[in-house]
Amino acid sequence: MSQETQPSDIGQYPEGDNLKHFIENRKRGGLVWRVSFQIATILAILALIALLYNIINGAFGYVAIQNKVDPNSLVLAMEENQMLSSSGTVSSEDDNELVDGIEGNPNAIGFFGYAYYNDNRDKLKAISVDGQAPSRETAESGDYPLARPLFIYSAADVMRENPAIGAFVDYYLTNVNSVIEEVGYFPISDDLLNEATTAWSAAAGEQADALQAYTANPAEVSDHDISISGSSTVYPLTRQLAIQFRRAGFQGGLDLQQTGTTAGFRAFCEDMTTGISNASRPINRAEIEACESNKRTPVEFRVGTDALAVVVSSENTFLENVTKDELRQIFTSAETWSEVNPDWPNEPIERFIPGADSGTLDFFAETVFDRQLEALTEPELIEILKANLSTGLLRRFDAEAPLVERSQPELVDLVLERVVEQQVVQSWELTESIFDRAEIEETVAAIPQGELQWRSWLTPAFLVTPQSSTPELAGIRTALFGTLWVIAITILVALPVGVGAAIYLEEYAIMVANPTLRRINAIIQTNINNLAGVPSIIYGILGLAIFVRAIEPITSGMLFGVSDPTTANGRTIISASLTLALLILPLIIINAQEAIRAVPNSLRQAGMGLGATRWQTIWSHVLPSAIPGILTGNILAMSRAIGETAPLVVIGASTFITVDPTGPFSKFTVLPIQIYQWTSRPQAEFRNIAAAAIIVLLILLLTLNASAVLLRNRYSRRLS
Amino acid sequence: MSTNGTPTSNGKYALDLQDVHCYYGSFRAVKGVNLKLQEKKITAFIGPSGCGKSTVLRSLNRMNDLIPGGRVEGRILFRGKNLYDPDVDPVEVRRRIGMVFQKPNPFPKSIYDNIAWGAKINGFKGNMKELVEQSLRSAALWEEVKDKLDQSGLGLSGGQQQRLCIARAIATQPEIILMDEPCSALDPIATLKIEDLMRELVKNYTIVIVTHNMQQAARASDYTAYYLMDKSDRAGELVEYGETDQLFTNPKDKRTEDYITGRFG
Repeated sequence: MSQETQPSDIGQYPEGDNLKHFIENRKRGGLVWRVSFQIATILAILALIALLYNIINGAFGYVAIQNKVDPNSLVLAMEENQMLSSSGTVSSEDDNELVDGIEGNPNAIGFFGYAYYNDNRDKLKAISVDGQAPSRETAESGDYPLARPLFIYSAADVMRENPAIGAFVDYYLTNVNSVIEEVGYFPISDDLLNEATTAWSAAAGEQADALQAYTANPAEVSDHDISISGSSTVYPLTRQLAIQFRRAGFQGGLDLQQTGTTAGFRAFCEDMTTGISNASRPINRAEIEACESNKRTPVEFRVGTDALAVVVSSENTFLENVTKDELRQIFTSAETWSEVNPDWPNEPIERFIPGADSGTLDFFAETVFDRQLEALTEPELIEILKANLSTGLLRRFDAEAPLVERSQPELVDLVLERVVEQQVVQSWELTESIFDRAEIEETVAAIPQGELQWRSWLTPAFLVTPQSSTPELAGIRTALFGTLWVIAITILVALPVGVGAAIYLEEYAIMVANPTLRRINAIIQTNINNLAGVPSIIYGILGLAIFVRAIEPITSGMLFGVSDPTTANGRTIISASLTLALLILPLIIINAQEAIRAVPNSLRQAGMGLGATRWQTIWSHVLPSAIPGILTGNILAMSRAIGETAPLVVIGASTFITVDPTGPFSKFTVLPIQIYQWTSRPQAEFRNIAAAAIIVLLILLLTLNASAVLLRNRYSRRLS
Repeated sequence: MSTNGTPTSNGKYALDLQDVHCYYGSFRAVKGVNLKLQEKKITAFIGPSGCGKSTVLRSLNRMNDLIPGGRVEGRILFRGKNLYDPDVDPVEVRRRIGMVFQKPNPFPKSIYDNIAWGAKINGFKGNMKELVEQSLRSAALWEEVKDKLDQSGLGLSGGQQQRLCIARAIATQPEIILMDEPCSALDPIATLKIEDLMRELVKNYTIVIVTHNMQQAARASDYTAYYLMDKSDRAGELVEYGETDQLFTNPKDKRTEDYITGRFG
């Protein structure tokens, strides 16, 4: 067996070390291939993940919502209106009338500023709210619910640069307690006042003495102007002090506006058009940040407390304490006292409240009716709609679906959409939303009436609302129906024709003996194979020429007398379906041929051997065995058809329709067209809904495929 | 001129082949076969691969028609009528002349449907259950499958499957059953069962069997036909046809003797 005895020297196989190297080389070669394939697979998976990431990233995330109208003020206006319009309510701007009305009437109730009650203690009785009796102490501590602090804000830099402001603030703090009761508010305690003075001193720093000198003699800073805006509650107090400041000799410009606390802070922090801001609530974090980004550090000065007294006549014996909820009922819906509380007398409530223009009424409503829009009842929401919409618009909504029959959430949506006119002014992608939260919050804080909301663009409403030019109101209902119609008809046409053609080519064409016919069959087969690779836009052109134009009377439905008056041409679902059917026909034929070819010949022989005709054999044995393969081809074809855009653009799918397709002769749009159209819009929100629509398309595709796979598996099981 | 012929017998002829030539396209696979098949007897076709015995068998119920280009010349008389006359429908022929194939090929359906289908498509009217049972009993399969008639025919063993195929063929009530190497895919025990079954069936049917197994031909058949390829034109021809005992013990033709004694090739 030794090497030497080998009979010939035509060559030899490697042995020993050579063999080892040879085998290692071979293995290395295999490894290179294996790794290449692995990398290719990983790349494909990465691409898929990137795609999914892109879609999901667009479909969820934060949005900045801006309300044209503040929903809280809507609720407030509605509540106030309810108060004013309840029977047995007397409203007056003159507090004396209220006192006169309540005085001596045990069934009367009313409210006004605490100072005014204080003047009339002999005739009236103030009642506790939520167990808290109104007093200077409970008001200052905030325990009494119908009380709020009053502030002015300024900044150290402002006071130093503009000595007039520094001096005015000092003047304000020194003199506020001498005028505040006259204006109608509670003076603050000495402790709080001292705190405010200390804050002023700290802010003024080295200039404190100089500024205090100006306080004593304001004329010396008359070359500076003072600009103040903010809370209308603080306004009368500031006004009183400004008048006195001028009387003391200040001759510079003095601009005092009442804009509301929030607008006041905006002017102070962002626009920096004012030096002092009046406020009836403490400054919030976003506002502080806005100030600081402009290098202004706001300094807070508490100047007083505002409190309302709920009063009844001294003769009233049953009312000592009410809850906020009882207050709400007393001043709105309840007719008699016993309605609110069975222990109270069955006597009508007589209400005396300040007039609609009064800030007191607003404050009372704000505090007592702290309800959100979402918490209102249906009639209340309808009331808001009636108060804010034109009668024409109301009639239209009523015609769509009677308002009184709509559910509460539907009404809330309608109010948000039509009255609040909620608008998305900016949107962020998912990753931004997660990682740049702080930055987003800052941006939103800068938007007037802006609100940050987490938003999934893919909602049930998105599926069932039709197209709209406003992205947040747009849905894919029409496109979804369009796609389902088109696909259903496409498959209905392409599957039988395709399978039929495959049966002919596989089962009958091969039996043809005539050489000319055989050649024709071969040409047909080659053509089908090539057609599968023709660009889809070519099919679109074909569809346009044949289905849309040439046989328009049929595809527009005119021939059947069912044409859609809005289209009156061949750009219908049936045209699209026939075009797509042509497009996927080669795919279905080729796959069905493969499937039929894979059925063992023995099955055909068995059938024919029993005396069955060819068709009986095909129908009973060949087709059932081929169905799994045919369905696989059908899945591929259907996926292709669902995602096709180009041919449908050519044959003229609508890009904007809001009417559901009603049948094969309707004009239509489909999901890919809708997505394509949205992605080409400039507004960012359209890209968000495009991403949501892509998710719907994918889910639709997966659902259809899954059902086809299930069907296929059922068949395969039955055959084995 | 050839040793084609017919052994003397008192029986009637089931099929009468007169100068049969089989073609695939332009190629002549079998030439000049003259053969009279005895009724209710088993005739075995033997011969080496490529000798045309299967082709002749297939031509007997026009299964050759199913092969593209397949064509037969000559006359095959069945009940005095040429099977290849233009007015003869091959579908009708195949019901009367059933076939069992080399590889068991039950339909991917239940055992019951395997048998009932052939009857149904041929317009059988009557008690289908009875027919199924009777066919399965004739094929000696009833006892083994009577409790699982609704199970797939593919779940049976190879031998059972082949007997199912025989039962399926019987169900259409043919006069002749053609068997194309029915045991080549089976183990010896299953083979013996089929052979026993054939001996049973031949009481009612004429059976023609193609086999490579000379012992099987010797054991099971009444008559044997030996085919061989003519090397000059590669066409198969019938060399010798006679009673099995006589052909195996005292072949007339030298070529037959070479083959059965193993000296061939």
